[in-house]
Amino acid sequence: MKPQLTLQTPLELPHEEVSNYLNKLWISEDTDNSGANTFTLIIWQPAWLEQCLVQKGLVKGPITGNLSPEIIEVVKKFILDEGLPLTTSFNSEELLDLLKQNLSNNDFEDFRGQFFESSISTLNPRRLITLAPTLNNSDIKTFVSAYCPLSDSTSIQPICGDLVVVRGDSAAISHKGLKIIDELSIDELPSWLWWNGSLDESPEIFEYFTNHGQRLIIDTALGSPNRCLKVLDQLKKSNKAINDLNWVRLKNWRESLAMIFDPPSRRPILDHITDIDIDIAGDHMIQALFLISWISDKLGWSFLRIEMDSELTRIEFERIDGEKISTSINPLPLGNPSFHLGQVIGLRLISKVSDVQKNNTCIILGCESVECMRLEAGGMANMELIEQVVPNSFSSSEYDVSKLLGSSRGNTSPLFENTIKIALQIFNGFLN
Amino acid sequence: MPSTLSNPLRLGLRQERVISPQCLVIFGASGDLTHRKLIPALFELYLQRRIPSEFAIVGCARRPWTDNEFRKNMKAKLSNQISGKEKEWEQFSNYLFYEPVDLQESQHVVRLSQRLNEIDKTQATHGNRTFYLSVSPNFYASGCLALKKAGLLDDPKKSRLVIEKPFGRDYSSAKKLNKIVQSCAEESQIYRIDHYLGKETVQNILVLRFANTIFEPIWNRNYISSVQITSSETVGVEDRAGYYESSGALRDMLQNHLTQMLAVTAMEPPGKFEPEAIRNEKAKVLQASKLADENAPWNCCIRGQYGEGGNISNRLKGYRQEDGVHCNSTTETYVAAKVFVDNWRWQGVPFYLRTGKRLPKRLGEIVLTFKDVPVHLFESTIINPSSNQLILRIQPNEGATFKFEVKSPGSGMKSRPVEMEFSYDESFGEPSDEGYVRLLADAMLSDPTLFTRSDEVEAAWKLYTPLIELMDNSPWKLPTYNYESMTWGPPESDQLLSKDNIFWRRP
Repeated sequence: MKPQLTLQTPLELPHEEVSNYLNKLWISEDTDNSGANTFTLIIWQPAWLEQCLVQKGLVKGPITGNLSPEIIEVVKKFILDEGLPLTTSFNSEELLDLLKQNLSNNDFEDFRGQFFESSISTLNPRRLITLAPTLNNSDIKTFVSAYCPLSDSTSIQPICGDLVVVRGDSAAISHKGLKIIDELSIDELPSWLWWNGSLDESPEIFEYFTNHGQRLIIDTALGSPNRCLKVLDQLKKSNKAINDLNWVRLKNWRESLAMIFDPPSRRPILDHITDIDIDIAGDHMIQALFLISWISDKLGWSFLRIEMDSELTRIEFERIDGEKISTSINPLPLGNPSFHLGQVIGLRLISKVSDVQKNNTCIILGCESVECMRLEAGGMANMELIEQVVPNSFSSSEYDVSKLLGSSRGNTSPLFENTIKIALQIFNGFLN
Repeated sequence: MPSTLSNPLRLGLRQERVISPQCLVIFGASGDLTHRKLIPALFELYLQRRIPSEFAIVGCARRPWTDNEFRKNMKAKLSNQISGKEKEWEQFSNYLFYEPVDLQESQHVVRLSQRLNEIDKTQATHGNRTFYLSVSPNFYASGCLALKKAGLLDDPKKSRLVIEKPFGRDYSSAKKLNKIVQSCAEESQIYRIDHYLGKETVQNILVLRFANTIFEPIWNRNYISSVQITSSETVGVEDRAGYYESSGALRDMLQNHLTQMLAVTAMEPPGKFEPEAIRNEKAKVLQASKLADENAPWNCCIRGQYGEGGNISNRLKGYRQEDGVHCNSTTETYVAAKVFVDNWRWQGVPFYLRTGKRLPKRLGEIVLTFKDVPVHLFESTIINPSSNQLILRIQPNEGATFKFEVKSPGSGMKSRPVEMEFSYDESFGEPSDEGYVRLLADAMLSDPTLFTRSDEVEAAWKLYTPLIELMDNSPWKLPTYNYESMTWGPPESDQLLSKDNIFWRRP
């Protein structure tokens, strides 16, 4: 889906006038025309990488907040040119630090908050508020506009809403921006926060939102694993609704694994699982941890212990019948920088019913872009081999967010809730 | 050990749509359909956690029951389904209410309206209502008018009207009924139910055709030589003689269920998977359908009536010996018809439809027979190489079979047919929901995709008008042939196909 621009250029207003202006916007003789009665979506949209690239002149502006193919190509080239490791993440601090060197102080056109993928706009949001922190020191600027989504579908009745962009450096957002957000909240409508950045950054701003009752959309692939798990722990303890795009991207893996056991004839395999190995791209283990936790929850396993070294992470579980299950998370360098670190790329599941190899089963799931020779090694071919290719998830974060907005009841999904519980148990097992 | 009866990894993965708070009002709540289909379907939706907590089911009928009597009656009738789920039933039964209503009495409907307002408050259903007319078809029109008069259909966004089949007795009565119903509610509020469309396997025809690239290119007159659509029952008329005597197999099954299967099989791909896009295509294909010989319709239709049958230990009565059936009844319990779809895709391809009671097997299936290869290069192990067939099994043993020729093992080059199988049971291992579960949920979700629109219903009646006129005006031209119970209909039905050098598939 293509992003949609607002029909009118957002109007810059002093931040004290924003609230009044928006209230007047919807006063009309036509009582039906009072704007959408849906939800408010607040987006933390730092786009640090894009800001650096534009300021450095490596990418033409304006800044949009969208990760375009041009940006991806430029970053890949920059990584090569600077001699950084090929697997450097787009979010790595090292990369950003290098890009931040010798930046100009010029102002560039900044369209953040004016582009929305149509999958979000067709949900008819009542109010879209973008927090657009700037690299350069800058006081708060606010922009407002009415917003009418355009849809090519006749079955969707577009209803207008409004959008607000709050731009300024992080300190200004922290001091003034959050007050503006407070004034703009519509109490009777649900309010979502999409933290479209690393969980490591601006913890005071993130905490502000977690304390203010927003439904949260985060991405635990962005941010250090320790910080991400701590955030999950805090949110869980305070009973906040958590939606995680890293969990959403795991959907194809959960579905593909479940599909294998749809035929009743294969279900006994589940009772005899002894080993699970998960390959991930890069060394960010959260998604793999989610996958293992989900499987163990569904099959009623108990967590025993975790061991970590630089090569891999081993986690041991116990089946209900007392048998041990050994699982491992193996980080693999793919020789390609990626935006979402730690995506699952392969899974091997071994189920043993006897000492005779041919009576046992090996299930291998591999993603489309990675060969599974590694997982087939070690005599797996002597077992009954079930192999499945898992489609790569190509949907954008905006699309995943729109799915969450359209389907979530505002609470943490029960599947994810149970998964977090076990993932935290494993994490705490490591800390202890 | 985790239970391997169901797939533990599948639990929670399905993202079912959740029904919004509302009140479902069932007229005819003391009737068979309510306790045989509707309440079990609603209970199933409850077990699947798809019923919101703000919900109410209000049963309405003439009997002077109380809420508790209604709950008790339903519990007694559903004892088999409830067994082992008593706790769940107790919770579910809190949603059940009852109001004695005779739709012909306007003060009853006004009283109902007041009761619904009260229930809106206690159950927080926000005035969102679905009215289900499970009454005698004679009361559809007056029922709609009564609801309209009481203002219960005024809000097109908050009120829906579900109407059971049969919708009319013929083209003109269906048209008249449509006019009345549409004067009471907008078309978007009207849900004409055909429970065959609620079957997973019928919906699968759409997926099979439009989610695979291999079928659609050959799904036309260039590759398909004929299509057979069968729906057979082993049971007789049972206790439905009163209704069946005035209806017969053509009105009861052929005009709706089989014709809907024809529409889904023959329709063009819709531009989008949206209700109106799909219903447009179905309506178009029905409008393009006609009897194979409209000028001499007796040449393209066979009617039959089951006679006695069975064996010494289990003698089966003939139709005319059934309770409530006239001893000289000519009502058909079997009908077979040959239909053409006059469009670019299907020109010249015969569609044979048959349905009947007391046939040897209960089944529903669609058989697409492909054209012969242009030249037979290989000798067959049987007399002639058989044509490729794609068999879509609607019920039972839901699934599909593809029949094709392979080389028979050995030194020669003889061909023989083999079958490639897909079975819902083997692949998914979980029973699919009853059609009513899906359709009730869809109606409450305001999703009309699987309901028939007014133009579809009218086109389906129009298709059979020459036969209905013949049955009404010159029934001797379309006689009802007798067939022995538990056989595949009258022999004349075989001749309908053998004229074209085709045979009914013996399932």
